[in-house]
Amino acid sequence: MRSSEWAIDLTHVDKMYRGKIHALRGIDMRVRRGEVFGLLGPNGAGKSTLVKILMTVISPTRAEGMVLDTPVGHKPTLARLGYLPEHHRFPEYLTGGQVVDFYGAMAGVPGEDRRRRAPELLELVGMKEWANTRVKQYSKGMRQRIGIAQALINDPDLVVLDEPTDGVDPVGRRDIRGMVQRLKEKGKTVFLNSHLLSELEMVCDRVAILVQGKVSSQGTIRDLTRDSLRYVIMVRGDAPAWTSEYGLRAATGAPGTTMLVQPSDDAEAIQNVIDRLRSEARVIVSVTPVRESLEDLFMRAVTDPTTGRAAAPGAALEGRAR
Amino acid sequence: MIQTWAMLVDAYRELNAKKLFWITLILSGMVVTAFAMVGLTDKGIKVLVWDIPVPMFNKSMIEPATFYKLIFSNLGIGFWLSWGATILALISTAGIFPDFVSSGSIELTLSKPISRLRLFLTKYATGLLFVTLQVGVFSLASFMIIGIRGGAWIPKVFLAVPIVVLFFSYLFCICTLVGLVTRSTIAALLVTVLLWLFFFGLNATDAVFVQLRENSTLREKSIATRVENLEKRATGRILEKRQAAVDVDPSATPAADAPVTREDLEAENRLLPAQWKKLADERESVATWTKWSRIFYSIKTPLPKTAETIDVLQRVLISESEMSKFRAPGDDDEVAIGEQDEVRVSGREIRQSTERAMKSRSLNWVIGTSVGFELVILSIAGWVFCRRDF
Repeated sequence: MRSSEWAIDLTHVDKMYRGKIHALRGIDMRVRRGEVFGLLGPNGAGKSTLVKILMTVISPTRAEGMVLDTPVGHKPTLARLGYLPEHHRFPEYLTGGQVVDFYGAMAGVPGEDRRRRAPELLELVGMKEWANTRVKQYSKGMRQRIGIAQALINDPDLVVLDEPTDGVDPVGRRDIRGMVQRLKEKGKTVFLNSHLLSELEMVCDRVAILVQGKVSSQGTIRDLTRDSLRYVIMVRGDAPAWTSEYGLRAATGAPGTTMLVQPSDDAEAIQNVIDRLRSEARVIVSVTPVRESLEDLFMRAVTDPTTGRAAAPGAALEGRAR
Repeated sequence: MIQTWAMLVDAYRELNAKKLFWITLILSGMVVTAFAMVGLTDKGIKVLVWDIPVPMFNKSMIEPATFYKLIFSNLGIGFWLSWGATILALISTAGIFPDFVSSGSIELTLSKPISRLRLFLTKYATGLLFVTLQVGVFSLASFMIIGIRGGAWIPKVFLAVPIVVLFFSYLFCICTLVGLVTRSTIAALLVTVLLWLFFFGLNATDAVFVQLRENSTLREKSIATRVENLEKRATGRILEKRQAAVDVDPSATPAADAPVTREDLEAENRLLPAQWKKLADERESVATWTKWSRIFYSIKTPLPKTAETIDVLQRVLISESEMSKFRAPGDDDEVAIGEQDEVRVSGREIRQSTERAMKSRSLNWVIGTSVGFELVILSIAGWVFCRRDF
């Protein structure tokens, strides 16, 4: 695959704050053009630091790689990026329409284009009727919608959204998911940073999990959960005596039923189990392939396998083993 | 250019939303209205319909145009714009940089395709918009009043805009640096006002030392002239006496040719030793005040000259000849040190000599070194802004 197929291609991204806090420790990450990419991680894992490095708000201690085929930190490239920061604060003396126009101008969008695009975007985010109201009168969700509109005013190739659904009601979340989907359909790359795993699971093509400044795992959700695929056969009555012969684990299911769990994705192996159950005239209620959820995957990534505890929040302090 | 214009429009919107901006503009309007209500008559000044006889201020003493220019530069600029309006402007603008770099706001601006240095400098320039608009409106109104009431249309009045903006920028650069480092509006305002008072105190002390030096110099000249006259008269009398002795006894000729010594003078005029001592004391005073005024001059050199920058406007607006006709309060007094002091120097002489000494300081020194200070502070602030992780 040629490098131009990657919207973000990072290697060895390091960030040390004042020689003490090692926020990022050699991040390697690739985001394909046209995909929706989710960045996950517990608090203090370095997600916002990474996003801020991409947007030149923070300078990295070390960074190799490209963003839209230009080196990280290349200012002119930012004209092709849209950004919604977490906990953003717009000037309260501006109206929603003025916010979109101002940040569009700051992105270098000519006046004519801004005048054409701003009403479209305000309509897209459902804020057209509030365009002439000052931001200070907006609710959190309305500010978030205006934030998304300003991130799109320059028709960016890459949109970086940091907690876009923060403070947004369920209807708003659905709308934002729809917008992300539409951006993807238009061929835009969307980089999402969110705590809401269910939201990400619904829209992301690929995800990366950041734990204590390092990428713990990255790929499609299907790839990352491939090893977790298992089959669950629910049968009426008690578990058969031969369960262990097939490597099955028995567990209590709904009243009057038993769950037989095969901890592998071997579909052929399950056929033998079904045949034997049928030969014994047992009632098979259901056969379900089960895959780990993103939340399970996330929890597995942030849990220390030796202690079984979730990683403590915060970045790694230099010199302290974690 | 799109970004610069956007930031300028944004700065205007921010000002427009601030009540203090409009309050200051209304106050400026009131100052100009008061300025317009005052007129000059043959006997004094006229406020609306009331005549107030003032011996120093009437048409025979001062031209109406000069009178209005003096009010404009001394009260309008020297008092209102450089004190009252500046305090209000600082209160209004002290929060510009702390707000700009606050979390949630700075990320949006820094993520745009504009270099940090350009962003910083443009934001700094837009911070001066408050004062530019205030002085612009004030100068325009004053220009009209000087023209209508004083009969002189003086475009130089508009020099108040760059001069007052320059003066304000000396303070605003400090406000910017402190605001950037501390991210606190209160800290930025407090440090700026304290430093401003320090500069003012330094300038006032310097002016006092210059005045004391000029006073001493004038006194020294006066005493020196008196001593010279006394010595001349005593020498004349000594030579007359020697000639009389030669006339009586021609053998005394060599004594008549001998130079007149200090002892001869002292013997001839018993007052001379006291005058010599007074002259020596005054010369010592001149040396002392000269030393102190040089020390303060050196201390002031790298710092912003706030008051002197404002005084530049008077230098430009009112010529020496116009000023020489003007008699300030205290000009007719005679200044002496104690009641026993027979050396008298007129207040007018001291004032004019002090003014000359202050004006002898070049514009390069007044403005050049102040701008140098501003550039150093801005460079530090710019460096902090460009290097910092937000």
